[in-house]
Amino acid sequence: MANETKKIDAATLSTHGKLAMFNEGLKKGLANGEKFTALMDQLIDTTDGEVLLTAAQKLADFKLDSAYVTFPHQYKNADYYLIFMSRLLGMHADEQATLHTRPHSEALYHVFDALSDDYTFLYQVVDGDNGGAYYREQTTGEKLFYIHLERRLLRFNSTAFTNLFINKLLLKGTGVDQINTVLATLINFGHDLQNDFGFNVDFNILDVNNAARYELRQADLNGEVLDKLFVLAAEHDYMLRNSPSGHGAEIELPGALVVDVFDAGAPETAKWVLTVRDSDQRVSWFDVLLHFDFMRDWYLGNIEALEIKADPLVFA
Amino acid sequence: MEKQNQPDLGKQDQQTSELTNSLQQKLDYLTTLRQAITAGDDRLIYELIDGDHYHQALLNEEPNPTRNAQVDLITDVHPAISHYLSTKLIDYLAHEYPFFYYEETQAGEFQIYFGNWWDRRRFGKLNVLNVAFEFSQEEFTKLQQTFELAATHKRYNTDNIQKVSAANDELQKLIDAQDDRDAEKDQLRQQLKENGQRNSLFDSGRIKEERQQIIDQLTKLADADEQANNAHATMKDNEAKILTLSKEDTILAYEKQAIENSFKSFENFNERNRSLYVDYLTTLIGKAQVAADGE
Repeated sequence: MANETKKIDAATLSTHGKLAMFNEGLKKGLANGEKFTALMDQLIDTTDGEVLLTAAQKLADFKLDSAYVTFPHQYKNADYYLIFMSRLLGMHADEQATLHTRPHSEALYHVFDALSDDYTFLYQVVDGDNGGAYYREQTTGEKLFYIHLERRLLRFNSTAFTNLFINKLLLKGTGVDQINTVLATLINFGHDLQNDFGFNVDFNILDVNNAARYELRQADLNGEVLDKLFVLAAEHDYMLRNSPSGHGAEIELPGALVVDVFDAGAPETAKWVLTVRDSDQRVSWFDVLLHFDFMRDWYLGNIEALEIKADPLVFA
Repeated sequence: MEKQNQPDLGKQDQQTSELTNSLQQKLDYLTTLRQAITAGDDRLIYELIDGDHYHQALLNEEPNPTRNAQVDLITDVHPAISHYLSTKLIDYLAHEYPFFYYEETQAGEFQIYFGNWWDRRRFGKLNVLNVAFEFSQEEFTKLQQTFELAATHKRYNTDNIQKVSAANDELQKLIDAQDDRDAEKDQLRQQLKENGQRNSLFDSGRIKEERQQIIDQLTKLADADEQANNAHATMKDNEAKILTLSKEDTILAYEKQAIENSFKSFENFNERNRSLYVDYLTTLIGKAQVAADGE
């Protein structure tokens, strides 16, 4: 109410009023800038995790320009996600993802030492009410994961990992070691978020937990798909056995590694899932795909049925 | 009182005592069987349920149906006896035939599964009372042929798979040749047009004949086009067929391997199946011996 009165006064009355209003706007704009730089100080220098997260969260939504004060040099909101990720990894001594600046601009991106510089990674902020951002590889457009700082959740996306790391990289000659280095950093990021801030993290296809049940795209899996694995496995001297978990099949791979594909659903509604068991709980389904050619051939050859489902709320 | 109504006491005594004897034998038979079951004496149970077979097979005695005089008394409890006897028998079989698995589908009835691999086959039934496998003839024949074909380095479905694969190759060629056919059709249509423009009083028969030839060729090409159009569906069906056949070959290969691992050869396997009753009962006798010596 007070503001409105002032406005009318300024418009109709004194020059002094106009000047005062201008000055007021400027002060507010500058204060906004000050607030920004204080957050920026925190984002790039703090050693306190919570302070870092809060700064990133605020900066990700920050509007630096105001009606009276605009700043010609600015980073995009998405860049604060990148800085946050690099800082958090750095606090945990993981320096694999290198933060780069494009020349003559304030645009940031990640490259990985283990990969060629052709592959650049940055965040893409989600417009609309949901918020959050995708971590995206630029040339392929693959969205590797979704993050929401305020809701503290992280969702990995099997489709993007398969497309980028297997179809684009592994099958075109990139070594498993190089790929693993990148995966390790992304997984570390998930663990850091989980351990430091209690994020709800779905590692999806990267989950090494024996209890992880990877849900298949085709909930009511066609038996032919398992027939194919049966024949393919036999050709590679492995045997697909009847599953001990009911209706399904399992295969034992070297290293006492057991992949089990079975119907975990109710009698009327099938829900086929895949599990990977190993004594140290260090192997994910994605690791199996990276290391066993015939398992990968099977997965990719029947991807429309076998694809591991990612969170449908963020990866439709 | 008339004479016929007078009971012949001597005769009646004899008949009665025969009857009571006969009933006593039945009682003895059932009592012995009950005791054998309580004592877990499976050997004796086998002897009681089919004594004639037992004496012929194990003691090399001549057939004598009187040994089985009482066996009809227990036919109604056969399923329960079969269930009872299965425990020790299946333990024994698990050791001798490690690749067979059993499912009791109803009391005393056991289905045999071959192997623990994906989509293993149901291979027949286990007759517990006779200690015998009753293999499904169809499945057994397939396995037999697998062993026979191995000599020629072929699998059961090798020829079939080759046939279906060849059919798919042909279909692929048909699809690939679409451009050639299209060019040929254009040419023929051109010829047909030229043919139609020619008009000769003297040569009309030849022109007509030529026209018919062109039309026939075009029809043939149209048929090939149609086949090519349907080829994708047929090829997919064929691929499904090949998968089914390959799966069966894989299963048969595992079965063959399992038999060779345990018995060296199919002949040995069959031999052992034939002597299964004697082998098993001999083991039971041996165990009883050891138990008796130990006392």
